[in-house]
Amino acid sequence: MAEEVSCLKARLMEKEKEIVALKNKLALEKNSLIDLQEKVTTLPPLKLKAALSNEDIMRYSRQLILPEFGVQGQLNLSQTSVLVVGCGGLGCPLAQYLAAAGIGRVGLLDYDEVELSNLHRQVLHGEDSQGQAKAQSAAHAVRRLNSTVECIPYHLQLSPENALQLIQQYDIVADCSDNVPTRYLVNDACVLSGKPLVSASALRMEGQLTVYNYRGGPCYRCLYPKPPPPEMVTNCSDGGILGVVPGIMGCFQALEVLKIASGQGSSCGQQLLMFDAQDAKFRSIRLRSKQASCAVCGENPTVTHLVDYEKFCGSAATDKCRRLSLLSKDQRVTVQEYKSIVDNTAAHLLLDVRPLVEVDICHLPTSLNIPLSSLEDRKSEHIRVLKERIGRVKEQMSNESQVPVYVICKLGNDSQKAVQVLEKMSGSEVDFVTVKDICGGLMAWAQKIDPSFPQY
Amino acid sequence: MTTEVSVFYFAKSAELTGLKSETIRVASELTTVELWQDLVSRHPRLSAVRDSVVLAVRQEYLALGDVRVSLRDGDEVAVIPPLSGG
Ligand SMILES: [Zn+2]
Repeated sequence: MAEEVSCLKARLMEKEKEIVALKNKLALEKNSLIDLQEKVTTLPPLKLKAALSNEDIMRYSRQLILPEFGVQGQLNLSQTSVLVVGCGGLGCPLAQYLAAAGIGRVGLLDYDEVELSNLHRQVLHGEDSQGQAKAQSAAHAVRRLNSTVECIPYHLQLSPENALQLIQQYDIVADCSDNVPTRYLVNDACVLSGKPLVSASALRMEGQLTVYNYRGGPCYRCLYPKPPPPEMVTNCSDGGILGVVPGIMGCFQALEVLKIASGQGSSCGQQLLMFDAQDAKFRSIRLRSKQASCAVCGENPTVTHLVDYEKFCGSAATDKCRRLSLLSKDQRVTVQEYKSIVDNTAAHLLLDVRPLVEVDICHLPTSLNIPLSSLEDRKSEHIRVLKERIGRVKEQMSNESQVPVYVICKLGNDSQKAVQVLEKMSGSEVDFVTVKDICGGLMAWAQKIDPSFPQY
Repeated sequence: MTTEVSVFYFAKSAELTGLKSETIRVASELTTVELWQDLVSRHPRLSAVRDSVVLAVRQEYLALGDVRVSLRDGDEVAVIPPLSGG
């Protein structure tokens, strides 16, 4: 009997310990829970700060003793709110340095979720935040760094409907977005609400930075009244990017934001700062001033409210790949159809039109690689190889029909362009061929046919 | 009178010309649009970015149009389409 009682007592004590541990864990979780905003709300004004606390003095001591910055600079920072549009390769380092320096409030906006292929450059997110809203993940990292910074994550797409209400509530806006329509939208919203816009961008091994709508300087439209043709825009998933390049540009953005917020002012208001990562060179171009003829900040503006920017730019407000549709149905095959062609060992030529650097990552064993650009430029050595390979397939064929050529690329956009080029060449520059593209490209092949094929 | 200048191609223009930079001989007195046309005659694909490009001479922005520019030996001309990635 006594033995049973002591056994029960021991079990009870175990359970009590467990409850305490769970309660602590719950308190911690609650503490770290940051309210994710799914729509724009009205924020209370920032709390006025008249003096620095002893903890502030210790935390910021190394910047407080800078004559350019000082106590007043620190107090100015704590009274400033900054909206970060995009929590990606630029927004992550930017938000990190703003929080570390003690900015008063930071709004973190992103509609996207964290993916594995983001982590090489979006350094606030971790392996454990895959699938989480980027805004939420960035807010957690920022909170860990400096809990005195008020942090507001927005899991939403900036739109003509919500942009003004949002931007009006912040003192400085930082454009860290990844697409052209958003850049025009942010610009116009900043001009209409009179906010300085610290804008940076990066691609491949290059970066650019300008502060727009600042002290009589130009706005984005003063410089680029017309958006570039959509096919002239390369995004990071197509063009590639070395993570540290937006890292450097995002840090530069943080520097200019901090200079404006602390009261020193930015010198990039009429200047385009360019970074060439390959040659490790910075260049600074003196820009023209604000244009009287500008559609939004000029003397007789035609843009007096926010418009449809996707229509204006002819492209979607995302950096996800566009799906081209250049061909008719009978000029295309699905990956399943192509699989059965391979299984039936029907004579054909498989042409991979991706750049060589991507073919090095992965390719199908029988494919011939000729990059789209070489086809377009009719590079003689490539055309020679193409003719030769078509000839070889022709020899394998028992009948007199045309050689079937299947064109593949990563996602099925370039392959369609290549089909159009090859159709022009058929019967003149090369033997007669029947050309089709493989819908969805190698990524569709990986998803639907061969799960062991790498995706990138 | 002609002069020898270095032309730097950035972002999309480097892709379209296949070059990061080149040295060319051009008229020393010309308008910015003539300078642009000279570059396009060397690299026809450049014409696609005409309306959305910053042209800079000696690190200073120049509008594309009837703007006169005097070039000296060794001057730096830069062709800069905007980047939009992040
Ligand atoms: Zn303007």
